[in-house]
Order: sequence, then C-alpha cells, then structure tokens
Amino acid sequence: MSEGHSFKIYRTPRLQNPCLIVGWSQDAGGLGPKAIDFLIRKLHPQEFAQLNPAGFFSLAGVPVEENVIQFPQSKFYSCEEKDLLLFQSDGPSQAHYEFLMLLLDVAEQICKLKEFYTIGGIISLMAHTSPRRVSSVVSQPQLKKPLAEYGVNTNLEYETPIGARPTLSSFLLWVAQKRNIAGANLWVEVPFYLASLEDPRACKQVLSVLDQRLNLGIDFAELDQEIEQQNRLIAELKEWEGNIHKYITMLEKGIMLSGKESETLASKVAEFLQKRE
Amino acid sequence: MGKGIRFYQEPQLEKPDLVAAWPGIGNIGIIALNTLREALEAELFAEIEPCRFSYPHALSIRDGELESLKFPDSKFYFKRTGTKDLLLFIGGEQPGETMKGYEIANLVLDVALNLGCQRVYTAAAAVAPIHHTLRPRVWAVPNRRELVAEARRYRNTLLMGDIEGRGGQGTITGLNGLLLGVAKSRGLPGICLLGEIPIYISQFPVPYPKASKSILEVLTANLGLAVDLGSLDEQAQEVERNIERFYHLIPEEIRQRIEQLKHVSYIKEEKSGAITEEDTKRIMQEVEEFFKKRGKQD
Repeated sequence: MSEGHSFKIYRTPRLQNPCLIVGWSQDAGGLGPKAIDFLIRKLHPQEFAQLNPAGFFSLAGVPVEENVIQFPQSKFYSCEEKDLLLFQSDGPSQAHYEFLMLLLDVAEQICKLKEFYTIGGIISLMAHTSPRRVSSVVSQPQLKKPLAEYGVNTNLEYETPIGARPTLSSFLLWVAQKRNIAGANLWVEVPFYLASLEDPRACKQVLSVLDQRLNLGIDFAELDQEIEQQNRLIAELKEWEGNIHKYITMLEKGIMLSGKESETLASKVAEFLQKRE
Repeated sequence: MGKGIRFYQEPQLEKPDLVAAWPGIGNIGIIALNTLREALEAELFAEIEPCRFSYPHALSIRDGELESLKFPDSKFYFKRTGTKDLLLFIGGEQPGETMKGYEIANLVLDVALNLGCQRVYTAAAAVAPIHHTLRPRVWAVPNRRELVAEARRYRNTLLMGDIEGRGGQGTITGLNGLLLGVAKSRGLPGICLLGEIPIYISQFPVPYPKASKSILEVLTANLGLAVDLGSLDEQAQEVERNIERFYHLIPEEIRQRIEQLKHVSYIKEEKSGAITEEDTKRIMQEVEEFFKKRGKQD
C-alpha cells in the first residue's frame, strides 16, 4: 500500500475480477458526479471504503457552497451482482500521485481489479441537438478494439497545448500504465453552453458505452426524460429569444460564434435553465 | 538511499561542492546553473523521479493510446574540474507543498552527501531597489556563522546585515533557501547567492541573466574555475533591449522616479547623494503602485 496516506474500509466486497468506473466531482456538464450518481441509483451498490482526505486536501477550513458546508469525499462502492466498482471523488489538491496510487491500491489489492474506466466531459463548440461523440484513450492497446465496437473514437491524437495541464484522469491512466493495469479515459463531448450545467445527453452517451462493455443492463428512461425536458426548455428559450435561436442554428450548421455571441448563449441558457429547475 | 532517485551512473568524486537552483524570480538561479552546466560540459548522472513531487505538465496521445506524460525535470550533473569537483542540481519547479519541498531537499542532500559533498551553494534572486542599467550585486547568505567572514570577502557582494533597515534579517523563500536550512540541520555548510533584480522588473515573467552573471562571477571565483560567461552577456543585452523598449512606454513622471534608483543606495553607510531612505521608500511605493495597476490592466 502507498505509504503515509490512509483509507477506511468498512467491509471487503465479494467480487470476482471487477471493472471500476471513476467519476470526478468537478467535470464539464456535471458529467462525473451525474453518471456515478445515476449508477448508484440504478444499480444500488454498497459503499465499502473511502480514502481519508488528510494529506490530499487542504483541511485548513471547509468551503461553503450554496449555503452548505462542503467536505472532500473519495468513496468506493461495490456492486457484487455486476462485479463492478465505482469511485466517486473530489480531485485532490495535493499529493496527486499518492492519491492515485492509493486509489489503485484499494481497487487492485483489495478488490482484484480487472480494468477501469474514467468518465469525463470535453467542452465542444457544438449544438446541444447534435449527437455526442465519445473518444477513448487507453493504457493498453487491447482495449481499443472492444471500445471501437461500441462506436467510440479510439484513434485520438493529442498534445497538451501551451498553458494547459493534463487532467487527473490522464494522470491516473499513466499511473495505471506504469502498474500494468488496463484502463481507459472516456471523453464525451459537452456543448460549451451546458458545461456549467448538466448534460444528460452526454451522460447517457458515455453510460451507454459502459452499459454495453460491462453488461450492466441499465434502464435509461430517467435520463431520456431529462434529455427531453432539457431540449424542451431550450426550445422554449429559442422561441422567446431570437438571438438564442440564431446562435444555436448557426452551431447546428457548423458556423462558429464570436466570443460575445458564445458568452450570451451560455449565460442566457444557464439563467433560463436554472430558473426552471 | 536511492528511493525517489533514478541513477544513470555513480560518479567517483573528490570532496565535491554542490550548486543547486530551482526556478524563481527572473529565473536567475536556473540561468546561472544552466550556463555553468553548459560551460563545464557537466554530465547527467541522476534525476529525481518527478511523479511524486510534481503534477504533470504535458500529455501526449497517439492513435488513442497514452504515449507519455511529461513532468518537470529535476536533474543531477557532475564535473571533475581539476581544481574542484562539482555537483550540479537543477530543479524543474518549486513544489507547491511544504512537506514535498522538505522531502526534495533531503533527497538532494542524500545524493550529495553520499558522494562526499563538502559544501552547498544555491542561486536565486534578490528583489532590490536598483536600476536595470546598474551591475547587480550579489547577496550572500551563509547557513552558519563561520562563513560570514568568508562571504564578506567576495567581490560585488553584500550580506543581509549590510542592507539598511534589515538588521541582518530576511527570508529566502522556496527551495533555494530551504535546501540550505536542511543542509544546516544535517551539518553541511552552505551559502545562498542571490543576484539583485530591480523591483520593477521582478514583477514580470522575464529572465534577468545579468544577475545570473553576477552570481557566477562570485561562484566561479570561489571555486577557482575559469568559465566563459560571454553567452550571458549576449542574453543580458537582449533582455536589456526589451526592458528599454518597455521602459520608454512608462509615463515620464514615473520613469524619473525610477531613474533616481541609479543614485540611491539601500546599503548602510554608503553615500547616496541627496536622496534619503525616506525618498527611496516613496519611490519604490510609487513604482510598485504603477506596476501593480498596470499588471491589473494587462
């Protein structure tokens, strides 16, 4: 086990050779938490362990968001029926490497991990009416073929642009690669004007891939309803606001918006959807 | 020893001194160390395994597969110079966490002490009320009292106690200071050499090789090395041309204030013309305020 940091385990789950799905709290379109919360609701997994926050998060105080005190959480869930592990966590603010090592220690040494998938959103200059594409980055090449069968783009080429930093999911994949653990980052497109909100369509898209890959038998009716509701609300906004109609139509036709147009679209959509929540 | 360090070779050295630097203001220490490394053709022999200490800064994906994740380099070099064997350590970034910094300092000293290191130098920046056309001096800060007399003999150098109003006190932030503190606790003597950088330049992310040169002049004299520092002159001229271009964009009134720094001294008992310490403080406040405002606008 990684030295100096600790985790709490409440029970040892009875798993054969499970797959792990990882979702981080801070994610475009609320994707990570939304997807894991959805899986928790649908599969009823049991929480069995958590990483202790000391050494990974600043504990000098607690943040308050929307009137409520927050505290960093890094929880493991197991679903024995599906031979599945879930990990839902805030991204650590320090000791990232040790955090990722400990995550894999618990999954590999206690749960006999077979492979893992991270879920993440990529902000895209697309319309919400367009299909969301899922791309993957794998730690081992044998994972590419099965993912491609579910329509995932498995041929991504990428270099970190100047000024940007790799994501925590990429760091996890690297640590896993060094430990010879098979895993994939799954990236799904999120329209930029839904990035600060929720994108149920992106959530459904990435979960559909995992549903097929891991034979989870998920009922997506709840997400379908959310997608329909969001589409209906945005259509309503388009009717009221000529500019919003124009901007979304431009995106649908593949026409780039100016910075100001993009800002207006994002703020109007956010304002409207939040009011209707 | 060795956990967290990747060795490529184990050099045989005779009582080497260690010179170390991490990035900081004006990149003064790093420029000095890189110049020394290139001039001496020092050989790489080890590096700190960076994943425990740094967050990665670049990712490369090829055909959907993770190809590489790059971290800031933190490397050890050595050189047998004939007069003095040397170890160089060039850090890739200052760690964000205090405990990590302490751990890195100990790792660097583990390697150095294992090779028989006798003394440590670090190189960094001293933000000072000086004008950019002046030759930067070097502040020398030893980690034990016995080295004070020696440091006082260095050319173009002053001690903390020579600075008006400091009473011999101050702080060296980051690993360039911490390494010497840890060295002190482990019984290893050391000196931090800080090259002066004008306060109005220090707020911008520009290199200041002129100060690196001042540090290397002191360091090479102390180590008995003859090193051609011509490449630093070229870099310094280029930087100075850029500073001058920017300097002439500054409003006349502020520029006149900065001009006075050519004649102001912040060193005790040094004649400073008609300008008092009070004047110096006022000039610096105005200059700082101007650049802070400008920084916000930019």
